[in-house]
Amino acid sequence: MNIAKALITAAGRNQRHLPLQTIVDREGYPRPVLTHLIEEAISAGIEKIGVVISPGDADLYERAAGPHAGSITFIEQPEPDGYGDAIHRGAGFLGSDPFLLMVSDHVYVSCDPERSCARQLVEIAAAERCAVSAVQATHESNISAFGTVGGRLFDGRSGLYRVERVVEKPTPTRAEQDLIVPGLRLGHYLCFLGMHVLTASVLETLDRLLSIAGNRRTVNLASALDDLDKRERYLAAEIAGRRFDLDERYGLLTAQLALALDGPRRAEILETVVSLLADVR
Amino acid sequence: MNAHSGDFIATITSTDPAIRNRPIEELAAGLDASALWDACRKLDAFRRSAPNLYEKVRALFFLYAICRFFLPPLLAGRPAGRISAAAHGHLLDRRFPEAIDELLAETGGDIPDDARASGLAQAYYQFGLQCLADQVRRSVRSVRGNQWMFRCGHPSTHPLGIHPTLRERAADEPFPVLHEQTAVRMDLTHSSWSDIFFLGMDYPAGARVLNVSVNLGVDGRDDEARPPVAAAFRVIDEPVIRLTSVDLGATADIVELGDMFHFAKDYLGLLKAAVIASGLVPIGMEGSGTELGELLEKLVGPGLGFELVSTVNDIPKGSRLAVSTNLLGALIAACMRATHQTGSLTGPLNESERRMVAARAILGEWLGGSGGGWQDSGGVWPGIKVIEGCEAGPDDPEFGISRGRLLPAHTILGEDVITAETRRKLQDSLVLVHGGMAQNVGPILEMVTEKYLLRSKREWAARADSLAMFDEILTALKQGDIQELGALTTRHFFGPLQAIIPWATTLFTERVIDEARREFGSAFWGFWMLGGMSGGGMGFIFDPAETPWARKRMREILGTAKKQLEHALPFAMDPVVYRFEINENGSSATLRTGPDALMPAGYYPLMIPNLLREDPRRLPPARRLEAVLYGARAAADPQLRGTIEPLVRNLLPQAARGTGSGDGGSLDALLDECGFDTEAHERIRSDLRAGRTGLAQNRLPASTVIEDVAAEEIFDMARDVTDGDRQTGAAALANGEVAVVSLAAGVGSRWTEGAGVVKALHPFCKLAGRHRSFIETHIAKSRKTGFDFGAFPAHVVTTSYLTHKPIADFLRDHGDFGYEGALRLSFGRSIGLRLVPMVRDLRFAYEETRHQILDERKQKMRESVQEALMGWARSVGEGSDYRDNLPSQCVHPVGHWFEIPNLLLNGTLAGLLRERPALRTLLLHNIDTTGVNLDPGLLGLHRRNGAALTFEVIPRRIDDRGGGLARIDGRLRLVEGLALPREDDEYLLTFYNSQTTWIEIDPLLGLFGLDRQSLGDPAATAAAVRRFAARLPTYITLKDVKKRWGHGQEDVYPVTQFEKLWGDMTALHDVPCAFVSVPRVRGQQLKAQAQLDGWLRDGSADAISSLGAWDHPS
Repeated sequence: MNIAKALITAAGRNQRHLPLQTIVDREGYPRPVLTHLIEEAISAGIEKIGVVISPGDADLYERAAGPHAGSITFIEQPEPDGYGDAIHRGAGFLGSDPFLLMVSDHVYVSCDPERSCARQLVEIAAAERCAVSAVQATHESNISAFGTVGGRLFDGRSGLYRVERVVEKPTPTRAEQDLIVPGLRLGHYLCFLGMHVLTASVLETLDRLLSIAGNRRTVNLASALDDLDKRERYLAAEIAGRRFDLDERYGLLTAQLALALDGPRRAEILETVVSLLADVR
Repeated sequence: MNAHSGDFIATITSTDPAIRNRPIEELAAGLDASALWDACRKLDAFRRSAPNLYEKVRALFFLYAICRFFLPPLLAGRPAGRISAAAHGHLLDRRFPEAIDELLAETGGDIPDDARASGLAQAYYQFGLQCLADQVRRSVRSVRGNQWMFRCGHPSTHPLGIHPTLRERAADEPFPVLHEQTAVRMDLTHSSWSDIFFLGMDYPAGARVLNVSVNLGVDGRDDEARPPVAAAFRVIDEPVIRLTSVDLGATADIVELGDMFHFAKDYLGLLKAAVIASGLVPIGMEGSGTELGELLEKLVGPGLGFELVSTVNDIPKGSRLAVSTNLLGALIAACMRATHQTGSLTGPLNESERRMVAARAILGEWLGGSGGGWQDSGGVWPGIKVIEGCEAGPDDPEFGISRGRLLPAHTILGEDVITAETRRKLQDSLVLVHGGMAQNVGPILEMVTEKYLLRSKREWAARADSLAMFDEILTALKQGDIQELGALTTRHFFGPLQAIIPWATTLFTERVIDEARREFGSAFWGFWMLGGMSGGGMGFIFDPAETPWARKRMREILGTAKKQLEHALPFAMDPVVYRFEINENGSSATLRTGPDALMPAGYYPLMIPNLLREDPRRLPPARRLEAVLYGARAAADPQLRGTIEPLVRNLLPQAARGTGSGDGGSLDALLDECGFDTEAHERIRSDLRAGRTGLAQNRLPASTVIEDVAAEEIFDMARDVTDGDRQTGAAALANGEVAVVSLAAGVGSRWTEGAGVVKALHPFCKLAGRHRSFIETHIAKSRKTGFDFGAFPAHVVTTSYLTHKPIADFLRDHGDFGYEGALRLSFGRSIGLRLVPMVRDLRFAYEETRHQILDERKQKMRESVQEALMGWARSVGEGSDYRDNLPSQCVHPVGHWFEIPNLLLNGTLAGLLRERPALRTLLLHNIDTTGVNLDPGLLGLHRRNGAALTFEVIPRRIDDRGGGLARIDGRLRLVEGLALPREDDEYLLTFYNSQTTWIEIDPLLGLFGLDRQSLGDPAATAAAVRRFAARLPTYITLKDVKKRWGHGQEDVYPVTQFEKLWGDMTALHDVPCAFVSVPRVRGQQLKAQAQLDGWLRDGSADAISSLGAWDHPS
């Protein structure tokens, strides 16, 4: 399975300016978050990238994409009609190819020195020839912010799961009933990392769900993925990496620190942090 | 085939139903004491190692039954024995395995004596129930969806957040209000209480219920039926949890997390349980020291809180329609919706959400220390449904532990199964009522559990019948044959239900059924019992053509029957007839926003007065807005219009209405009428407040030497009664020398838990074919004496201001039960006014005397109640007069010692002696000592021993608490438990006081300084009684009284009263006393209704039936 396209959604009502924020990368160079995400995708062998934006944001995003601007296709989502609609807007760009889907308000830091998070995911999808969502075990107190999957180990392989249920932002009440995954610690569930490799059938499902929803076009991705397992193989993979949500309080700061500590100037950053801590009264 | 001691275990472990369901009687038949004890030892070893919980529990119940019913009759002639203080202590502290080990060690491996057998029986029984309760608790915790709430211990890990829609509002609008409306459930059959959790978990195939969700109204009050319970939820702009119960008129702002777990602090325990069980305040936070504000900030937002309101459509308590469980369900559903725990904020719930609500309602009931059956939350589901036990599968937490799951399966029967026509016919035929009785169903559920486990032949066959009838009832319903349905539910009530639990019926129920049958003939199609027992919620099925008339007449019939029996049975309220309709929605929610965001109408009369009393400048904006909104809408909105009058009433509270206006006059009039001694009362109050009297002061000095009395030191009925005694006694009876005195001045606080009925009139059991009261039972025995000896003894019933009129009316209405002899009432006018207890005495009672520790949550609830009651005593004034109740609940009789002097004072004895100069002896007994009679042998023994007073005692069993026969500082005497210097002293005593006394009249008069002549002089008699009374101690005691309010609501308060007790006659050195040990069946007192079933089953009831001549001309 060749995965050459990626879709980044950046039209969310509260997220549209986050990818435009400047962040200092591992090497110490300030760059927009969008560039960081584009390079994450390129590191996974992606050749074409579509970015879903709000109307009128194209200029800003083009500037933020810098040297990559020429290879980006901007797709407008006229109204903020939800995540499902945003992905569905990319259908024309994606065609029938499998694609890497990323959200624009996250920054990923890989724990594998050789492979980015996106690359790990794309490699698994290519090897298994199926849709795969990146997940991480998350404590029940945090799951209501994420899409969450239920399932069991795939083929007995550590960190790879066959997905049986997907629920958008569940409470633990629901999660305990439908989303328990054998082998995880008590009170932990597999939550989306905001990065998926999906197949065209997901777009078809979104199309169907959006037409059912009619004017109430707030369809989420989880609804489209919930019964994917019944049609085709659908896996979830725990990848060696961490996700930082810029939309959280101090999210940008935390992501910045994580990136900095992951780079060659780690000692310098640590020294600054220690000195800050010492000065705090 | 003869039974074998090993058959018990084979029965428990067999997979073959024919073996597993063998009745215990069959297993125990023919075994002698050694073989039974051998079986016990094997069962005890088995239960210690049994890996399967249910096999272990069944072994425990077999052990209980052997020790309670089968072994004791085989121990006759053996020494009575004693239960050690250590074993008692273990039992009281719920250390049941230790109690068993202690008792077994004391027997040294031999067959236990009667006392220890009773101790073992209780320990095995309680341990069995505890194992089951623990398992249900574990199952409740392990239900998926509930588990996280036990883990969440800090706000930072709280996973829930308020639905954003509930926080959205315009600047000048209130927060939206989420309204949840829920039905209550009515069960067409519960297949003989098969909705007990444990039964469903052990025998899922036998757990089947047909349950209907209904809307209700009260006939004559409401124009239409509507969902009877509702909850409202909204965000508020204060960091508090505001809980309001419109139905109970209570509201509170919770500002500290600890108060959420203090269930008895106010009337908001159910709302608190809902908030906890729905995860808003997770149970894992109990005792965590968390600040409520921190939690609310995470849950709702900075500076915000939430408000939860409950309303019940004035449905009285005890309706048997599971009102409180469904209200809990409504509250939980609202809280779950408000925190994203359901798919939709409004509309109906889906099946998995309903199941979650049901599981959490079970959790909430457990938290609040109560508990119903697994069908009770049926009102959350729509329409008519079958609810059945389910086998536990590999994915269920119960798998491998119990056969069935905790939560049953609900199958909704749509109109394709039960047509709209049938539903309408059912509504048109059924007259649904509340009879007015409020009784505790708890003991009945324990009896059902016991009988199920023992597989007693009759009860097990009845359970099979009941299950077969389930199918018949369902078929009748599917076929739309309501007449057949009525016939079946009637047959079910009089057949299997009463075969398993005879106490499911009452005299009141049967009287009403008879009357309906008599008046409506073939148009009366049947009766059906709702819930656990009859007397409260009940159904009467009529030919639809007659139903409108029947609805009117049933109200009158119920009212008349209640009036006839209101002193005999515990009624909490006047009967009502409901309007009802099937609810096809189950639990459903709506959202009101903007200017429509109003709370339930009943909320405003409760809250607006509080707002008006506040300084307007300090009112939070939302509350000010609310007041403005209410003001703007109140006049125009038809629902709110009716709230103005109660609002004004609440704003200007009127003086409490004269207590007892409905109870035949005021308290002061009653006190005047009975010659209440104000001076003596003030002395008692002053002593109590100064600490000169009190519970601690009841006790004898610590230096008192308390010793047991050996069986050889007293007479024994079996051993010492001679033929000569029998002849003497028979001659005396034939000569009319004896009269019976039945003590009936008290109301038996324990019997109806403070309900204030006249115990003597309570139709406590069916004897010789129909319900009999205590008083009729004693008269039947006197009649038998008359037939046997040719002279009917005079029979005196002592009464008090509490009991005199009801007893007089009752005897008149029943023509004195046709008693051929003289039947006299001795009206005792001595009266005391109850006092609000001293906190010192409450603390002594709660903390320094030993009590049975309860199940974890119930114990927490009890401690919470006790704290609240101490607060109540402080707030209303310790030692002040207790006046805030009906007059009859504010006054008390002053102890049974006075009942004999009253015979002297009121001329009853003088009159009898005039009429019957041969009269020499009185047999005095408590009203609840059902087995006592004029036994000629005992009479002869009493005459032969020459004592003025011969007291009957019985060998003590585990339940016999409260003193006994002791050697105190060298003298044999009866001592009250409350007078013993140390509580453990009671466990030294082998014999228990039955209170029955043979009294020689002339020596007794002599002790008072009187004789037959001077008895005619009232002044001399009064002086003699006063002199004598001064020689006896006065005890301060605490009693529970019920205060009824609202719609069948009841609160129980402790009150202080004082008493002089008859047994203290034995402490006087100049009173010649003797003691005789009699068999238990003769001396057993029935103090609590929970004793009745064992008493019936151990043969006591049959024995007593044979002592009476029951037929009389009336």
